[in-house]
Amino acid sequence: MLQVSRRAACAALLFGWTLFAGASSAEEFNLEEKVKLCATCHGADGVPINKQTPVIWGQNEGYFYLQLRDFKRGMRKNPLMEPIAAQFEKKDMYALAAYFNKKKWPNLGQPSAPAKVAAKAESAIKSIGCRGCHLDHFQGDGSTARLAGQSQEYLLATMLAFRDGSRGNNPGMSNLMSATPEDDFEALSQYLSGLQIDQYLGHGR
Amino acid sequence: MGSCKSAATIAGALVVSLAGTTVAWSGAETETVVTTTTREAPVPSVSQEMLSGAAADTKNNLHTNLNYDQTRYYQGKQINKSNVGKLRPAWIFQTEVVESLETTPIVVDGVMYVTTSFNHVYAIDAKTGEQFWHYKHKMGPVTTYCCGPNNRGVAIYEDKVFMGTLDAKLVALDAKTGSLVWETEIADPELGYSETMAPTIVDGKVLIGTNGGEYGIRGFVRAYDTETGKLVWNFHTIPEDSVGVWATHDATGKDMHRDIAAEKAALKKLGDPYKTLGGGVWQNPAVDLKTKRIYFVVGNPSPDLDGSIRPGDNLYTDSLVAVDLNTGEYVCHFQYIAHDVWDLDAVSPPILVDVKDKDGKTVPGVIHGGKTGNVYIHNRDDCSLIRFSEAMVDQTGMWTLPTPEGAKMLPGANGGVEWSVMSVNPDLGLTYAVNLHQPMTYHVESSPYPGGKLWLGGAFKVIPGSDQFGNVTAVDYNTGKIKWQKKTPLPMMGGTLATAGGLVFTGEGDGWFRAYDAENGDVLWSFFAGAGVNAPATAYSVDGKEYIVVGAGGNTQIDFKRGNNIIAFTVD
Repeated sequence: MLQVSRRAACAALLFGWTLFAGASSAEEFNLEEKVKLCATCHGADGVPINKQTPVIWGQNEGYFYLQLRDFKRGMRKNPLMEPIAAQFEKKDMYALAAYFNKKKWPNLGQPSAPAKVAAKAESAIKSIGCRGCHLDHFQGDGSTARLAGQSQEYLLATMLAFRDGSRGNNPGMSNLMSATPEDDFEALSQYLSGLQIDQYLGHGR
Repeated sequence: MGSCKSAATIAGALVVSLAGTTVAWSGAETETVVTTTTREAPVPSVSQEMLSGAAADTKNNLHTNLNYDQTRYYQGKQINKSNVGKLRPAWIFQTEVVESLETTPIVVDGVMYVTTSFNHVYAIDAKTGEQFWHYKHKMGPVTTYCCGPNNRGVAIYEDKVFMGTLDAKLVALDAKTGSLVWETEIADPELGYSETMAPTIVDGKVLIGTNGGEYGIRGFVRAYDTETGKLVWNFHTIPEDSVGVWATHDATGKDMHRDIAAEKAALKKLGDPYKTLGGGVWQNPAVDLKTKRIYFVVGNPSPDLDGSIRPGDNLYTDSLVAVDLNTGEYVCHFQYIAHDVWDLDAVSPPILVDVKDKDGKTVPGVIHGGKTGNVYIHNRDDCSLIRFSEAMVDQTGMWTLPTPEGAKMLPGANGGVEWSVMSVNPDLGLTYAVNLHQPMTYHVESSPYPGGKLWLGGAFKVIPGSDQFGNVTAVDYNTGKIKWQKKTPLPMMGGTLATAGGLVFTGEGDGWFRAYDAENGDVLWSFFAGAGVNAPATAYSVDGKEYIVVGAGGNTQIDFKRGNNIIAFTVD
């Protein structure tokens, strides 16, 4: 119930913001204003206000930009995000992507997966080669999302949405999720969300 | 995102300067890149004559695959079968990037130019391993690449080094300081284009292909001017008529089980799919200086596993192709797999070598190691196939069509030979390939072109718990017979170096780097490098002393332990 009420509050706040921002959409893009808009749901300190909302602080720049682009194009569906992204020009999306990329990824305090869960997840990961794109520590890069330390509930919902096609902006991911047994997703989400990588992450970019 | 410390401190930081360089060739935008110069490198002057004569040059390594023929045959004999047991590290250089290494170092007059994942370039002293300079490419936000943020090396000409980047640019650097001379955008990374191959330089042209067969690109090989970065010619690896001859069997005569009637109906309905048909070129072309032709292989069609929306043979995917060096005009091609739905494409760089034809006559040939696990031997005149080798890996079930539930077939989608480079010992008439045995199931699931996003048309799945391994194989290219084969505990990826000292060098994903007897495959020397040795080795000499050098950085694609070491070996 708490989550429901928070989501409702988020939607209400956004509705107000969107009206406000919409009124000024023809004017020059105001990064500070848009950042405040994002913080309504994604958190003023980088911790999202509910578990279904993804962490965007520290997310990879290319991935961030492409999601906004896809919301604007209607390729990724979300009733809250589509009207927000519709206001943005390409340069605005890049500015937001660059801004949030530089923020420190928040620690959501999610536990490391137990050994059995981790082993089940690793088996699924090796089978479809997740690290081929998301890289060694699931830090992602460029146009590929960071998964390590992302909200477990969001990860689980996203994998299932790719699987059933309701998230339709990456058919390659949909194919890979379709080829993964449904039984593996809980383990995958627990394992990936519990990875704490910021102490040693460094990929030279 | 970078949280790395400067590697300049390793070399003692004689002089550290941050050179802010304005980009001279980047269209409307200018940007600043940073090169850390510890000390200036001696100025090289690499002439076309040097590049052309590289095969006999035991001092320098001027090409990624050692020479224009791409034999990866080093003619030095100082390190040989009798003393390789005494081979020891001369130095170890640690890059700041702990990620997949597939690079081959270039060496000129005692200076080594080596790249890492994410497009860093280092110039280091090839005798001591000390750093001259370090260039870090200012990467654009959008990078769309398959199989790891790899780079396979630079090319060198006159006083510049050249590199393709993950964000689909081509850069030229001052070999003395590492500062940017020019930069040009090759293609739009948002549409799935990226660069991981090393360029090839010939006659004032930078030759480069593109990745992107997993993203619905239209592939190409291009020539750019070495002085200005301007485009000289473009060859589309996918012609506007990509339909072909409706081939039903592969190059080895196996039935591919195509439904030609369904494909013809789809062609009528959908039209020619050439605009998004893939056909990346991952590796360097071989250059025939006599005929002024280049030979390269073209990768898989997009989407990888779903043939239903790309009717026809999908020319020139999965093919050997020759074009005119001066103009980029088509000369000939040979397609190994028409209408591929397994991603068992053509990636390993072709090698020019004299071969026996079907009548036993010696003719100019070109050979290629396929992801299928066969070595293909062609006549260089018309690209025609003379013979193919015995299978180097299990091909059980080839060609079982992918299904929605997943169908098992061998080899798995990584091959076979994969991108790994082969080498040749011309005195023995042998080519040396490394292979994977990685059982997979092939799944098909149709989806429309997603505008530059991952577009597999299904999935390849490693079968959990299945036995995986690899091998090193010597193939007699005049007969097609396997001369010797050595099994390895892990699937192999990287490639081989052959030397006139009677040796073959190759590394393994668990960290072992080994020297094999070129004649019989006996392991004569081993060194444990601590991370996957999945980069091809090369050789050079400084002050009369010969060195073998290799990168140990592991591999993203098959997830071998990452590292950041460039290791040079010598005997005293």
